[in-house]
Amino acid sequence: MQLEIRLFAGLKCNNPDLPFFGKNEFILSVPEGTTIGDLRRILAIDPVIRLLVMVNHHCELEDWVLGDNDRIGIFPPIGGG
Amino acid sequence: MDKILRIDMGAAGGPKTTTEPVGDYAGLGGRAVTSLIVAKEVHPLCHPLGAENKLVIAPGMLSGTAGAMTGRLSVGCKSPLTGGIKESNAGGQAAQVLARLGYAAVILEGKPSGNDLYKIYINKDGVKIEVDNSLKLLDNYPLIEKLRQEYGDKVAYMTIGSAGERKFLSASIACTDPQLRPTRHCGRGGVGAVMGAKGVKAIILDDAGMKHRPPKDPEKFRDANRKFVEGLRKHPVTGEALPAYGTNVLTNILNEAGGYPTYNFKQGQFSGSVKLSGEAQAELEVKRGGIATHGCHRGCVIQCSGIYNDKDGHYLTKQPEYETVWSHGGHCGIDDLDTVARLDFMDDNIGVDTIEMGVTIGIAMDAGIIPFGDREGAIRLMEEVGQGTPLGRILGCGAEITGKTYGIERVPVVKSQALPAYDPRAVQGIGVTYATTPQGADHTAGYAIATNILKCGGDVDPLKPEGQVELSRNLQIATAAIDSTGMCLFIAFAIMDQPDTFQAFLDMLNAFSGLNMTGDDVVALGKKVLSVERDFNKRAGFTAQHDRLPRFFSTETVAPHNITFKVTDEELDQVFNW
Repeated sequence: MQLEIRLFAGLKCNNPDLPFFGKNEFILSVPEGTTIGDLRRILAIDPVIRLLVMVNHHCELEDWVLGDNDRIGIFPPIGGG
Repeated sequence: MDKILRIDMGAAGGPKTTTEPVGDYAGLGGRAVTSLIVAKEVHPLCHPLGAENKLVIAPGMLSGTAGAMTGRLSVGCKSPLTGGIKESNAGGQAAQVLARLGYAAVILEGKPSGNDLYKIYINKDGVKIEVDNSLKLLDNYPLIEKLRQEYGDKVAYMTIGSAGERKFLSASIACTDPQLRPTRHCGRGGVGAVMGAKGVKAIILDDAGMKHRPPKDPEKFRDANRKFVEGLRKHPVTGEALPAYGTNVLTNILNEAGGYPTYNFKQGQFSGSVKLSGEAQAELEVKRGGIATHGCHRGCVIQCSGIYNDKDGHYLTKQPEYETVWSHGGHCGIDDLDTVARLDFMDDNIGVDTIEMGVTIGIAMDAGIIPFGDREGAIRLMEEVGQGTPLGRILGCGAEITGKTYGIERVPVVKSQALPAYDPRAVQGIGVTYATTPQGADHTAGYAIATNILKCGGDVDPLKPEGQVELSRNLQIATAAIDSTGMCLFIAFAIMDQPDTFQAFLDMLNAFSGLNMTGDDVVALGKKVLSVERDFNKRAGFTAQHDRLPRFFSTETVAPHNITFKVTDEELDQVFNW
C-alpha cells in the first residue's frame, strides 16, 4: 500500500537503503498491516525522539495500523503560542 | 518592588506624580497587580478612553532578578476593544528595568486637557515628564531612533505609534527588545489607545545605577534557577523546537490537524502552509543573513525569536510569530513570507495588534474590498491604517467594527476581540478558552492546544467536547498565575511535562520571596486573579451570554473534519465553577 509521508521540524528519512534518504516528503510503499511503530523503524527515526504522528489529520499512537493512501504527518515534540 | 508610581495626567497645572508604598500588592506582580488594581480602582462602567480609566504597568514577581525567563511585562486597564478587563503581556526589556527601579506598578491616571503629547522618563532619581509635540504621529521605529538621540541606548522604551495616538481599538504598546527594536508588543485589547488617550507617547525606563533584585536566599535561588534552566534546555520544545524554528513551527502541525483557519475560518487547511511554515522561515532567515534564534529579553534561555532580512540581506522585521504568519498569511489566503514580514513590520511600526489586524484584513477580503490572496492589496490596506484614512480608521478599530461596517456575518470575535490562529471546531479546548476567558478571544489565556494537539501535559482529544472544560479551566488558572510571575508562558511546556522543572520554578519563587509556596498556592493565586477579573466584567455588564463563540462555529462545519463546536453552553458555564 502507498503512504503519503510528510516529516516536519527537521525530521527526515534516515534510512540510507531508501531512495528518499534525507528527504522529508515522499510517497512510500509499505506492506499491509504496517503500524506507525513499523513506519518509524522503516524510516530509521531515532527511537529516543518522542513522535507526534497525524494520520489523516488525527493524532494516532505507535500501534495504529496504517491504511492505503493514508496521509501521514510526523513531528518531533514542538510547541509555541 | 516596594513602591507604586502614580502619574495623574489630568492634574491641574500638568501631570503630577506621587509615589506610595506597594501596600496590599506586596509580593505580587504582573497580571495579579494589574487586575487587582484595575478591579479596585477603575469604574467598570467608565469610558475606556476617559479620565476614569487607568493604565497599570507591572513587572512580574521575579522580574529584575537574575532568574531566567523573567522579563514579561503586564499592562492592564479597561479595554476599549472588549469593554472588559484587560491584561496585555509583552517581552522586551521594560519589565526587567522597571522592576530593578523598584516599581511594582506605574499607574497612568486621569486625562490631560488639550492635545499635548508627553514623554515620561523614569530613573533611580525620580520621574521627569515633558511635553514633546515633535513626536506627534511618529511611528515606533522612527520614534525610537529620535528618542535614542536624547536618551541613549542603555534604556528600555515603551511607546505607541500613530495607531495609539489615533486611539484605534487595535492599538498596541511597543516594548523594545535588547537591541532597541520596538518589536515586543502588549498587543491585545487596544491598550495603546488608552495610553494615547492619556497623552503619553513614550515611557523611557533607565535603571543605570540599579542592581538585580536580590533574593531572600541567594544560594537557593541560584540553585533553583540552574535546575530550572536545565529543565528548559532538556525539554524538546523549549530546548530544541522553539529556538530552532520559533513559534511559527506550529503552522505545519495545525495544518495537518485540520485546525488552521483559512479564508476567514471557512476551512481548516491551507494549500500554502508549507511555504509559510517555521521550517521555511528559519531556512530563509539563515540564508539571508538573519538569525533564527534570539531572545526577546535578557535572561531568556528559550530564544524563540529571530531576525528576518529581505532578499538583499537588510533588516526587514523581527521573526514573525505564528499568530502573525497565520493572520496575515493563511487567514488571508497569502502564502508569501516576504509579504507577511512586511505586514509584520507595519504592525510593529504603526503599533497595532497583529492578530486583530490580520483577522480584520481577512474580513475586508470577505467583504470584497480586496480579494483573498491579494498581497499588495493587504499592504495597501495597512498603509491606510498607518495614514489614518477613513477606511484605515475602520480597519484600525478591528474585526468586529469592520465586519459591521461592511455587513459581514462571519466575524470571528469573542467579547469583540478577534480569534487567534486555531479553529475552535478542530481544537475544541481552545474554543472553551476563547469563549470564557475574561480577556476576550485569547489563545494564551488557557492554551489548550498544548494538550489537544501537541500532547504536552496530557492528551485530550481535540475533536470531542469531553474533557475540554476541565482542560481550559486548569490552564486558565495556571496561566493567570504564571502571568503574575513575569515568566514567559512558554515555560509551561517544560513545567507541565517535567515535575522537577515545576519544582525548580516553585523553588525560585520561594527562594526569592522567602515564602513557602506550594503548587496549591500557585493555583490559589491563579483563581484569585480570574475571580477578580470575572467580577469586574460582571460589573461592567457582561453576562453568561458573552462567554460564547460566534454562532456560526456551532452551525457551520469546517473541513477536513467536517465538525462543529460541540461544547454546550451549559458546559461553558461550568468553567469557573470550582
